Amino acid sequence: MSAAQATTPLLAVRGVRAAYGKIEALKGVDIEINRGEIVALIGANGAGKSTLMMTIFGRPRARAGAIEFDGRDITGVPTHEIARLRIAQSPEGRRIFPRMSVAENLQMGADATECSEAERAAGLERVFALFPRLKERVAQRGGTLSGGEQQMLAIGRALMSRPRLLMLDEPSLGLAPLIARQIFDAIRTLNRQDGLTVLIVEQNANHALKLAHRGYVMVNGLITLAGTGAELLQRPEIRAAYLEGGRRG
Amino acid sequence: MSATSARPSHAAQPSGSAFILKKALISALVALVLFSLMIGIRTEAGPQGGLIYWTRFGDLAALVGAVFGGSIVVELLRQWWGPVDKDRVVPKPVQSAMSFAGRWLAPALLVFTFLVPVIFYNQRYILDLSILVLTYVMLGWGLNVVVGLAGLLDLGYVAFYAVGAYSYALLATNFGLSFWVCLPLAGILAAFWGVLLGFPVLRLRGDYLAIVTLAFGEIIRLVIINWQSLTGGPNGVSGIPRPTMFGIPLTAGDDGLAAKLGIEFSPTHRLVFLFYLILAMALITNWVTIRLRRLPIGRAWEALREDEVACRALGINTTTTKLTAFATGAMFGGLAGAFFATRQGFISPESFTFQESALVLAIVVLGGMGSQLGVALAALTMIGGFELFRGLDQYRMLVFGMAMVLLMIWRPRGLIGHRAPTVFLERNQAISSDLVKEGHG
Repeated sequence: MSAAQATTPLLAVRGVRAAYGKIEALKGVDIEINRGEIVALIGANGAGKSTLMMTIFGRPRARAGAIEFDGRDITGVPTHEIARLRIAQSPEGRRIFPRMSVAENLQMGADATECSEAERAAGLERVFALFPRLKERVAQRGGTLSGGEQQMLAIGRALMSRPRLLMLDEPSLGLAPLIARQIFDAIRTLNRQDGLTVLIVEQNANHALKLAHRGYVMVNGLITLAGTGAELLQRPEIRAAYLEGGRRG
Repeated sequence: MSATSARPSHAAQPSGSAFILKKALISALVALVLFSLMIGIRTEAGPQGGLIYWTRFGDLAALVGAVFGGSIVVELLRQWWGPVDKDRVVPKPVQSAMSFAGRWLAPALLVFTFLVPVIFYNQRYILDLSILVLTYVMLGWGLNVVVGLAGLLDLGYVAFYAVGAYSYALLATNFGLSFWVCLPLAGILAAFWGVLLGFPVLRLRGDYLAIVTLAFGEIIRLVIINWQSLTGGPNGVSGIPRPTMFGIPLTAGDDGLAAKLGIEFSPTHRLVFLFYLILAMALITNWVTIRLRRLPIGRAWEALREDEVACRALGINTTTTKLTAFATGAMFGGLAGAFFATRQGFISPESFTFQESALVLAIVVLGGMGSQLGVALAALTMIGGFELFRGLDQYRMLVFGMAMVLLMIWRPRGLIGHRAPTVFLERNQAISSDLVKEGHG
């Protein structure tokens, strides 16, 4: 990797605007994700977190601004081609294929990216090492898994494309705290062992900020705060808005 | 309870047997109350005009007994064919026998199908019916790609059937092309129309897609009716050449197959040939579908049925995936259409009404979306069964309606709702462990 490549962020989002019809969901968002980083994006419901993630993926398209991945402008590139650049996404609500087996679900993750049989097998090993539960249930239909297992499958499926950037949308959604912690631990392991770059969108600000190197806070389609995870955790406005509030709920 | 103790394997679920017996007893009781007056006592006007009556307790007992037994059978069937999560009260031997039958059903059916022209050589009616059934099996398998695998509800499938039929009919009557040249052309043309239909409906799903495809089917039919100069309009196209056995006609003439083989000519030869032709075409359809399911494109179809958003997130080009599904399904429809044209020798728009689309769709849904064997069985039941109940006259529609309703209650996912996975870990693991060893060594 050249020096220039090492200094440019892996993903740079600059002044991106996106809208659903007339409702503007992103009003000029700037974020950067460096190689090997875990970046958390936190914010309330409807702040535009998921929209930002989907806009990076090309759907909805950015109406203004630029998205660069590894120095290449990917604004307006079709979604399936973005995925082939090895940006993987575990979408909100998991969205596994319920009638297909666990093995098939994982295979789907590898299908779109050109990878050799050896890489695919190695990818499977990696996913099973990370989530042994999936190996036990490999022949089971995806829809019969528990919520936590489905989340593991969604992340595992995303990992099968050997991503350079993994984007996770609310991986702890609807999971018991213990299972959520397992998921977060797995993400940390991936980052430490393989140097995987991760963008994690979360409402569970406490967990996400403890996990992340850096974080962004989003309010009404704008980034209002940025800093390291530890810094953000100490900010009184964060505590008031997300942590204490979160504890009540 | 004797039923429970007799089958120790089900001792864990005595409520099942008890429940069934209770239900059967209640049914028997209701039957007793109902029938005691209706059957048990028979009244008639006596010779003197007075009312005489006599009792028929034997009949009553038989009837109540039948209700009791029938109720147990129905309940067993319901539990065993019903949703997977229910406790099964079917004894183990029956279960294993059924799974054995399930494993051998498809090969047995295939062998039997191959022998049909031998067994029923002299029964023209059965041969004709078998050809019809096989045509619908092929149509069902073709539509299964679109509806069963890709999950795109297509109510206008008959359009591709019509395109295939008219392609062959017009090419053969106008340009004198042979069946074997026209067959692939019909498939290609139908696939082309499949893509043409696919483009405008790319963004549609479910109900909306169904309506547009329904309209598409009607448009094709109306165009055929109104474009008189090309298609002959409502009069149809007649004099469509019969297929030849790779150039050798199946006629009584000197250059016919019978004369060449030195055997006596019989019109059955052509029927037998048509039978094996459609059988081969249907089996190719089946083979291609099974192969495709194991390839990334087939998996992408199935994934598309499950979740389009997730597909896109995984880098699947949903546009090409949908279009290939439409094109593949349409191609098989077109091939079946060409066969239909050559079999009939005459086609008219009347053969391509919405009812055909509905029938093929019913075959796919009843058979179990995505299941090849299920579709074949459903085609056999729907087309063959329909003929079988011809004696029931106006009641046969009723019988069929009831059968369909019952099937949907007991088997909401179709006759064979089980879908076989296409990715197996055992094989992958063997490969992967080898590679890991190599990597470490």
